[in-house]
Amino acid sequence: MGLEVGSNPMSMDAIAALLAERFAGDLADIRIQEPDTIRTKCAPEQLKDIARRLKDDPDAGYETLNWIAGVDRQASIESIYHVYSWQTNTWLELHVDLPRENPEVDTVTGVWPAADWHEREAWDMVGIVYLGHPDLRRILLKDDFIGHPLRKDYIDLAENHPHA
Amino acid sequence: MPDEFVTPEPDEAVKLALRRIDEATARGEGSDADGLAFNEVVVNMGPQHPSTHGVLRLVVTLDGELVKDVIPVIGYLHRCKEKLAERRTYFQYIPIVDRTEYVASMNCEWAYVMTVEKLAGIQPTRRAEFIRVITGELSRMASHLVAVGTFTADLAPLGTAMVFYMFRDREYILDLLEELSGARMMFNYFRFGGVRYDLPDGWTSKCRDLMKRMPKLIDEYESLVDDNAIFLQRTQGKGVITQQDVVDFGITGPNARASAVALDLRRSRPYSVYPELDFEVCTAEHGDIFDRYRVRMDELRESIRIVEQCLDMLPKGPVQAGALRAPYVITPPPGSCYVGQENPRGEYGTYIESDGSRYPYRLKYRDPCFCNLQLFPKLLSGNKIADAVAISGSIDLVLGGIDR
Amino acid sequence: MGMSERIKTVRYPKLEHFSEPNVITTTADFIFSWARSHSVFPFTYGLACCAIEMLTSGFARYDIARYGMEVFRPTPRQCDLMIVAGTVNEKMAPVLKRLYDQMSEPKWVISMGACATSGGPFYDGYNVVNGVDKVVPVDVYIPGCPPRPEALFQGLLELQGKIQQHKFVADKPALADAAAPAEEA
Repeated sequence: MGLEVGSNPMSMDAIAALLAERFAGDLADIRIQEPDTIRTKCAPEQLKDIARRLKDDPDAGYETLNWIAGVDRQASIESIYHVYSWQTNTWLELHVDLPRENPEVDTVTGVWPAADWHEREAWDMVGIVYLGHPDLRRILLKDDFIGHPLRKDYIDLAENHPHA
Repeated sequence: MPDEFVTPEPDEAVKLALRRIDEATARGEGSDADGLAFNEVVVNMGPQHPSTHGVLRLVVTLDGELVKDVIPVIGYLHRCKEKLAERRTYFQYIPIVDRTEYVASMNCEWAYVMTVEKLAGIQPTRRAEFIRVITGELSRMASHLVAVGTFTADLAPLGTAMVFYMFRDREYILDLLEELSGARMMFNYFRFGGVRYDLPDGWTSKCRDLMKRMPKLIDEYESLVDDNAIFLQRTQGKGVITQQDVVDFGITGPNARASAVALDLRRSRPYSVYPELDFEVCTAEHGDIFDRYRVRMDELRESIRIVEQCLDMLPKGPVQAGALRAPYVITPPPGSCYVGQENPRGEYGTYIESDGSRYPYRLKYRDPCFCNLQLFPKLLSGNKIADAVAISGSIDLVLGGIDR
Repeated sequence: MGMSERIKTVRYPKLEHFSEPNVITTTADFIFSWARSHSVFPFTYGLACCAIEMLTSGFARYDIARYGMEVFRPTPRQCDLMIVAGTVNEKMAPVLKRLYDQMSEPKWVISMGACATSGGPFYDGYNVVNGVDKVVPVDVYIPGCPPRPEALFQGLLELQGKIQQHKFVADKPALADAAAPAEEA
């Protein structure tokens, strides 16, 4: 019973066309990355709404969150969401660009429960603030660590090394 | 010894657990149906603990023997791998990827090497692809032996014979891999475009001999526990992962397949020469501890089949694409790529962004155990502490991957 | 005087009361050291990949029981030897120190693997402590990444040698004042 992989197989072009049609204007720059991933962008204000619509889409519902990564692009900071659609057996990579001085974006834990820890890790490593997250605290580093290590301008502080 | 031993201050996780108890009491959930107040205790399991399989810390809220809440605290093995990727060349980074999921090193290397090959447009040779599948499956077998062995070692602390037999047989597999790559555990064997060494003389016949012996050895393990009433009582019906959990938390690998979800990336997103091989996706129905054990044992048998097929189909040819020496410095064109593969624990992948230089710009791991561990609070609550230990053993965590 | 008072007046001799080593103290040295070195209880402090090799050395092929060390205890109260197998990072270091303090004397530490010796392949990580000897005193270092079980055994045998050097009464150095005028000159 139940959860099948690829119950509604579609070609990549068909999925791209479907996304372009249903998310006209909200998802920008839809590109196909062979063999089975679609890359796209959206604005941070619309993330929550788009996430909900992506998950609930009847033909290509992206129901599972694979990972969330924070990337420091020096001019901006990006939060990447990699989601999986069971029906079409394809992936979608959603890039959200955030301003560097204030990298805030809505949490998607209400849509994909797996986002809990992934967002905590992005906060820990890159410093993206996920508004509305139930428990946004450090996950991999110790609680009193200063700084966000995966930023390109991170400097190794002596306070972070009491046992040097 | 210090003159006085100071009890450390409760840290964030313990404070959170205490806060949750207070909130539950304030909401009126502080006593049971008969009006007896719960006497909840916050107990720390780990990070040094024989049953947490590495430096995992579980802050457990216990009411007697019953686990009310679990807060996993990780990061005790955080080795800064994603930052180190930005300071090592692609080639220098291969031994570091080895050490992520250290029980299944070949599979970890394979995911990273495949991602870089896709970015750089390198096509591995056909012989190398078959050798990669053979070593990947051997590594998968060794990993499952460790996983099931340590799981049964948790049920009765090192008191089962199973763990001894499984580690003994893992040695035979490691002998083969050592003869091939030079190391017992972290092999540093995969290269961009192929593998480092060709199979030594006589290796294929030794491998075939071992694959002929393995089914009987697996029968031996199963005869130890499959009919054991205590094992069945402790494992059946406990720690059920539902299909909704699989979707919500991104559970992959044997943990998902035990819940009747036929997700195997070797089938659903085939890579290498898996499309040409004949193997089954092992699933089970109920999603409890026993089914996860069952799926891993079945996968051992499937891996034997895959290795035997590859040995039969092994073509002649070079094991390295391009020049005779490995490309020590490669500079993939700017771009990004994510490749997820079927690691023994689930979908393991690396997302690499390249800016055209010798060093990766960003490397992000998708680790299966990190996603599986998120399920712990939901999975362990409501069980007795002994069942909690059994469940956490059956999920098969490797902290090297969780903490990176 | 009653029996209990008479018992309280007895002064029991301790080996350390001897002013210089003699046949009693050296025999006691030999017996205690032999007992301690041949039944060391290691502490399962496996952190990372080296822990798997430590585990393997306890099982059938590389049998640690032939050295008397198969009793791996998970609690520091019952252990003599802490084998730190794996990378120590800043989050783990206080925990390690606390567990080391909870072990009772005499205790020894083996640093197994490149990470515990000096940070290993992760030496330039922002969160990595470059060697466990920055946290606890180490008796034997075992290099390797991971060290083979045979390498672990060599380290354990070196540690046995170190344990056997225990002395209840140390040899006193030669009297200093006879040589002092020569030194000051």
